[in-house]
Amino acid sequence: MWVERHRPKSLERMIGNEEARMALSVWLAKWKAGSKAALLMGPPGTGKTTMVNLLSKERGMNLIELNASDVRTKERLRSKMGEAMGTVSLFGERSLIFLDEVDGLAGRADYGAVEFIKESVKESLNPIVMAANDPDADEIKKLASSCLALRFRPPPPREVEMYLREIASQEGVEVPDEELQAYVAEAGGDVRQAVSLLQTRPVAAGVADRASVYKDRELTETEAFNGFFQAETKEEAARALRALSLSPFEKVREVHRAVMRSGLPPQELAQALEVVSRADLLMGKMMKAGEWRLLRYVDRLFVEELYPVVRGRGVKHAGQDDLPFPVLVRVWNDSKKIKDMSLRYAARAHTSGRSARTQDLPYVFAMSSRKPFREELERSMGVDADKDLLESYDKFLQKEAAR
Amino acid sequence: MAAKRILVGSWFDLPRLGTETFAALVRREGVVYDKSMGFKFDAATDLPAAVRTLRSAGVEVEVTLRCWICGKEACEGCPYLAGCDRTRVSTYCLCGDHAPDKEVYDQYAETFGKNLEAS
Repeated sequence: MWVERHRPKSLERMIGNEEARMALSVWLAKWKAGSKAALLMGPPGTGKTTMVNLLSKERGMNLIELNASDVRTKERLRSKMGEAMGTVSLFGERSLIFLDEVDGLAGRADYGAVEFIKESVKESLNPIVMAANDPDADEIKKLASSCLALRFRPPPPREVEMYLREIASQEGVEVPDEELQAYVAEAGGDVRQAVSLLQTRPVAAGVADRASVYKDRELTETEAFNGFFQAETKEEAARALRALSLSPFEKVREVHRAVMRSGLPPQELAQALEVVSRADLLMGKMMKAGEWRLLRYVDRLFVEELYPVVRGRGVKHAGQDDLPFPVLVRVWNDSKKIKDMSLRYAARAHTSGRSARTQDLPYVFAMSSRKPFREELERSMGVDADKDLLESYDKFLQKEAAR
Repeated sequence: MAAKRILVGSWFDLPRLGTETFAALVRREGVVYDKSMGFKFDAATDLPAAVRTLRSAGVEVEVTLRCWICGKEACEGCPYLAGCDRTRVSTYCLCGDHAPDKEVYDQYAETFGKNLEAS
């Protein structure tokens, strides 16, 4: 496979994320015991793992790889990481510890694994690099605040084209410019896919229709969503979804927004929401178990089960700016407050933050219309000591109770 | 109103947008701020979110990328311009003078080595 044969042999010969590559290399060169860990955040296929492999090779370090999704508890994490963190060779050579898919740990906040990592990084005798797919997850944000956090994004199309040209030249293959650009556009920043397309050359072989490959290049986010909702065939719908450069989380959220605003009749709306909720469950499972291979099923679910329901029903992408900024700010503030409250409540009620948020707080809010209940709740959550905090909590609880 | 072109890695100014927008940009979305220089998008900025916040505050922006080899603006005349979401790709690209058809891969890799040595 060309993907394997032409895997970059050095950090210099990778493409994209130039600043992140330099920052990680400098971090490792200057690393000493007690330094921060590095956290690489970005979607699959943006070169995080390749980069760590190349760095360890270039520096002659032994690479110890752990997949966080295999580690279910803090104790197991401690036993797996502990030895690696506290050992250097007789000659003082360090190992590079790579903890991949830490999203899997973050999804199990109750195990305290993230806190454990934050604490143990300070005592490690070896540098630790972690990788996460979703930089927007709350636990990853928490982790990022105490690490050298580096964002990874797909490389821009011109760099992918440069890479494909290099491979074509090494393989002695002549590829017309137009065809090469079609593969770059079709891959949407996924270098592995671009290389696979170059190897199989569907355009040259007449397998893919040239115009359809080009079409993807022209799509904006809204056009791609509308292309999905208004596609004539399943293949066209699948192509429109593939053309989206959104993360799977954003994709599910945007589809949900579009369905909610679609004005579909109740029965179809229920069917469509059923599919969206299954996609959401799939994402949840993927996050919890760190099974990123499930990603591919999200698109498939939408194409196979949502598309037949919404086809020709005038469903449209909801757009980004349908809420005025002051409303967005209110939404952000409220969600921050709910998160804070659920953690305080969870500590008091010996439950998880998530259970508090989804199961208990709706009832707590409903009961908060009674002043004595509110006062007792505020006391038990320990917010009564701070006058400003108490006031903001009280106001918020009253507002929620009045809903 | 024409969109304001912002080159990633360069300083730019903004009209007064209020405390909430400022806080959202600088604290949450990682936009760099310096009192004397202004604002800057860099590799750590959450670009899609920052562009959304600016748009909600009435400032239309168009993000452009810098050439990794020479540092010039890279987006002008790019054949991928229409389909490339510059807020979601990494922050450097290649300009017309260093376009991929000019066999620039070695030059690209050398630039990385030089910049790394200099840092």
